[in-house]
Amino acid sequence: MIHLRNIHVIFNRGTPLEAIALRGVNLRVVEGEFLTIIGSNGAGKSTSLNVIAGLIEPSQGEVEVDGKDITGWPIHQRARLISRVFQDPKMGTCEDLTILENFALAYGRTESRGLRFAISEEIRERTRLRLALLNLGLEKRLDDKVGLLSGGQRQAVSLLMATAGDTRVLLLDEHTAALDPKTAAFVNELTRQIVTELKLTAMMVTHSMAQALQYGDRTLMFHRGKIIFDVVGERRAAMKVLDLLDLFKRDGGEELSDDALLLG
Amino acid sequence: MSLYEFLGTIEVGFVFGLVALGAYLSFRILDFPDLTVEGSFPFGAAVAAVLIVNGGWNPWLATLAAAVAGCGAGFITAWLNVRFKILHILAGILVAISLYSINLRVMAGPNKPMLNVKTVFTTFEGMGYPSYMITPIFLGLVVFLVKLGLDLFLATGTGMAMRAAGANPAMAAANGINVGRMKLLGISLANGLTGLAGALFGQLFGAADAYMGIGVIIIGLAAVIVGMSLLPSRAIWQATLACLIGALIYRFSVALALNAEFIGLHASDVQLVTALLVAITLIVQSSRSGKFLK
Repeated sequence: MIHLRNIHVIFNRGTPLEAIALRGVNLRVVEGEFLTIIGSNGAGKSTSLNVIAGLIEPSQGEVEVDGKDITGWPIHQRARLISRVFQDPKMGTCEDLTILENFALAYGRTESRGLRFAISEEIRERTRLRLALLNLGLEKRLDDKVGLLSGGQRQAVSLLMATAGDTRVLLLDEHTAALDPKTAAFVNELTRQIVTELKLTAMMVTHSMAQALQYGDRTLMFHRGKIIFDVVGERRAAMKVLDLLDLFKRDGGEELSDDALLLG
Repeated sequence: MSLYEFLGTIEVGFVFGLVALGAYLSFRILDFPDLTVEGSFPFGAAVAAVLIVNGGWNPWLATLAAAVAGCGAGFITAWLNVRFKILHILAGILVAISLYSINLRVMAGPNKPMLNVKTVFTTFEGMGYPSYMITPIFLGLVVFLVKLGLDLFLATGTGMAMRAAGANPAMAAANGINVGRMKLLGISLANGLTGLAGALFGQLFGAADAYMGIGVIIIGLAAVIVGMSLLPSRAIWQATLACLIGALIYRFSVALALNAEFIGLHASDVQLVTALLVAITLIVQSSRSGKFLK
């Protein structure tokens, strides 16, 4: 479903600030796989996601999604294949618009927008049914501006919006990092449910090793712009956070200094 | 203020209501500070005047052509910004100053009088009502229809996409919206409205003038700022209504200031009065929200 071939990313090329973010990343994600990605800051995990979504253009390599080479596609065109949930709850929704209007925008990702009214009775009903699944009472607040919602509610709404159309790929970039632990657990559980029910191909970047093992069915670790390990199946099922640390010491060749990865 | 002056103020207020709607679309909806307006307003007037006087066009068609010409000016500004990443303000200034020269060429001189020709306003002559009554009613109707059209457009799928493109471009792109295309469309529309306003203004006063664009942007903005701070609006239809009322309030405050002879202001002080009005509104606004005290 997703295929990265020899992706290199260099920031500020040819300047004193030149930084290599990805050095030859190869990755193949099959349809329906739920990938979790960990790594310390600057390891290249978010950069990889941004390369797939089109925010960052690789200096070398190809990106393929759903059998199409999308390397040169602009972001809005990729949005027909890929949906995203951002880390910042303010980014995933438009706070000046109502909940219903936000959903209308999300439906427009895979359906034509045109000059028909964005809001119809049918869209209202469809949105009401989807929001009712959250049990947050949001289905009664369809005409409230999204700016009035809490961070957790906005993230839950973003997640529903991202999975409203018939896109098959979902990218989650630390989408629970800005939430308190209880809300984060709620959004993570919701993510698991939706990905399982809709059989989506998902890539979730997280800063917590425990989360990386708890969710999904394959885990990658990035270090200095490369994938240093990739575990799946029974081997992964038997792993604990400490095993991941051992792997990191062995393959990364150094002690882990990022406390957030250990404690999260 | 006589009845005649009163109705005249309303006429001009309605014409600038169109500019205000354009400013609302560019500044508020698209978050694109568009200064093209300074050029597209006289451009609209010049195109309409030349087509009517030299081309012998039907005034309604000439007015429509002026609106299309305004769209073209806006399109170039947005194109410079979207395609070549030229700063939006600078792109607008570039197009506005080039339009100054273009207007001189279009009119083959600094102005174009429209004397003894058919204009959209002469259409209503011979209907038995005096023109000083008919004209404000007609202009009010035009502005109201444009407002209604804008309200409806912003409720469509494309209109909603435009609102998102202005409010949160990253989110808009992630939802499959071509943000650049929305800017092209929105800024074209905004300048189309300004071109229309210029064409009507020129016909109202019987001449197009290369200098008539000076200060138009601040008048449009003044209308939006004054209107929206006096009438806080949640829905789009309330916001567009606030812009129109803002345009009227603005014209009346300027007319009153200039009429009050004891203050000693002249007609040439109009830009100063405008700038003060906008500054005072913004200061009151920020002191009300508490930011002023910090």
